[in-house]
Amino acid sequence: MDQLLLIINEMREEDGNAPLEMLEDSMDLRDDLVLDSLMLAELTVRIESEFNVDIFEDGIVQTVGEIIAKIEGK
Amino acid sequence: MDKIFLVYNDTVYTYGQLLMDLNSKEAGYSYLYVKDNHPYEVFLGIIHSLLYNYPLEILDGDFSEQEISELGVDTNLLTTKVPKHERLHFQNMDEVIRRIYKKDQWMLTLYTSGTTGRPKKMGHTFDTLTRNVKVHAKFEHCIWAFAYNPTHMAGIQVFFQAFLNQNPLVYMFGKSMSNIKILMETYQITHISATATFYRNILPYLQGTTYPTMERVTFGGEKFDLLLEEKIKHAFPNSKITNVYASTEAGSLFAAKSDVFEIRPEYKQFVKITEQRELCIHRSLLGQSHSLENEWFHTGDSVETIDETHFKFQSRQSDMINVGGYKVNPIEVENLLMQVPGIIDVVVKSKKNSVTGEMLVADVIKCEELDEKELKKELKQFATTHLQAWKVPRIIKFVDELLITRTGKKVRK
Repeated sequence: MDQLLLIINEMREEDGNAPLEMLEDSMDLRDDLVLDSLMLAELTVRIESEFNVDIFEDGIVQTVGEIIAKIEGK
Repeated sequence: MDKIFLVYNDTVYTYGQLLMDLNSKEAGYSYLYVKDNHPYEVFLGIIHSLLYNYPLEILDGDFSEQEISELGVDTNLLTTKVPKHERLHFQNMDEVIRRIYKKDQWMLTLYTSGTTGRPKKMGHTFDTLTRNVKVHAKFEHCIWAFAYNPTHMAGIQVFFQAFLNQNPLVYMFGKSMSNIKILMETYQITHISATATFYRNILPYLQGTTYPTMERVTFGGEKFDLLLEEKIKHAFPNSKITNVYASTEAGSLFAAKSDVFEIRPEYKQFVKITEQRELCIHRSLLGQSHSLENEWFHTGDSVETIDETHFKFQSRQSDMINVGGYKVNPIEVENLLMQVPGIIDVVVKSKKNSVTGEMLVADVIKCEELDEKELKKELKQFATTHLQAWKVPRIIKFVDELLITRTGKKVRK
């Protein structure tokens, strides 16, 4: 979770947005984190280079918890 | 004093030495495959083939044996000599050059750089290769910077322009940039032709120096960059700047003062632009290729028509990147990012992903003193302000140098 927070905050910083203090499993990527498809593309590439997991490989991921599950290979 | 023919690394080859080597060269070969593309060996081989009127096929010295086999060339034939001819002896270079113009069977076969697939083979006559070469007493004083790969079309054209006027060539391709400043100063270069990538990379090393001896600066091989033109004018205040459109298939065809190319009246019927805005060249303007079956050669270059006889180059079609259904021309994005202060060069590439198919990423060379984090923010902000969202590179990486192709162009793959 901490590493994912780092990745998301790095993206936010580069886009000129304030960093998040914490992430919760239930947070919705689009509604709560306000990520559009281009940002999601960026997120998936960054996660892939860090964890070697393509989170969108087999369909839609909606929440932070689902990303964590993918990374942890659940 | 014996006139300089070529400066390569720390060696100076004179026209006198070239004459001696041409007179003493024992045999000719059908293939020219010189390790590391040593330019003296390459040029000696080309001139020898012209003098003895035998066809020559040039293989880039960077090709591995494996690549050569894949091109369909039997590697055992690389060392095959051409049948012996009557031995000629030349008294001076004027005799050599007069003889060159008498060739009739000579043909030079080149390979495309293969940026978009396997290198293609093209045969050229002396006439197509030297179509735009100008030989005149007024060019006698010219001193050429040689800034292309000597085994590809652009390099061969610069070679002929310099050699047929018996000008010195100062080799700068693939050299460290700090050496280039010294070479410029030592040899008082008057003419240079290179890719935009080359100019962008030497500018920081010229450190604001101006070079009044430079008379002509030519851009070739990549899209012209108007912003770069301003910087070039500053470094070379007395130079005329031209932009040429050339290809391995056709040689040099169009020239432009800035970024608008003119189709000369004699070429008009041999040039067409399709509805998809692709530039096509009639086969009568091309060299000979077995792979060319149609009447029109599709260049793969997207152009913008200005009027009946003028066009602007837009992009290589194969370089277009599809971000979630939107086509992006990476050159447009690169040109925009180049406007951010402190940026030396940029390449915009595609990164595959499962959300938008492709996504833009940028590799950037920046001035040393700038902070990476701040600059990343600035680049993204600048791009967001000026471009539609899908054209903004999502990931920016700072690098020391950009990958370039064998012919000195940026690698976008």
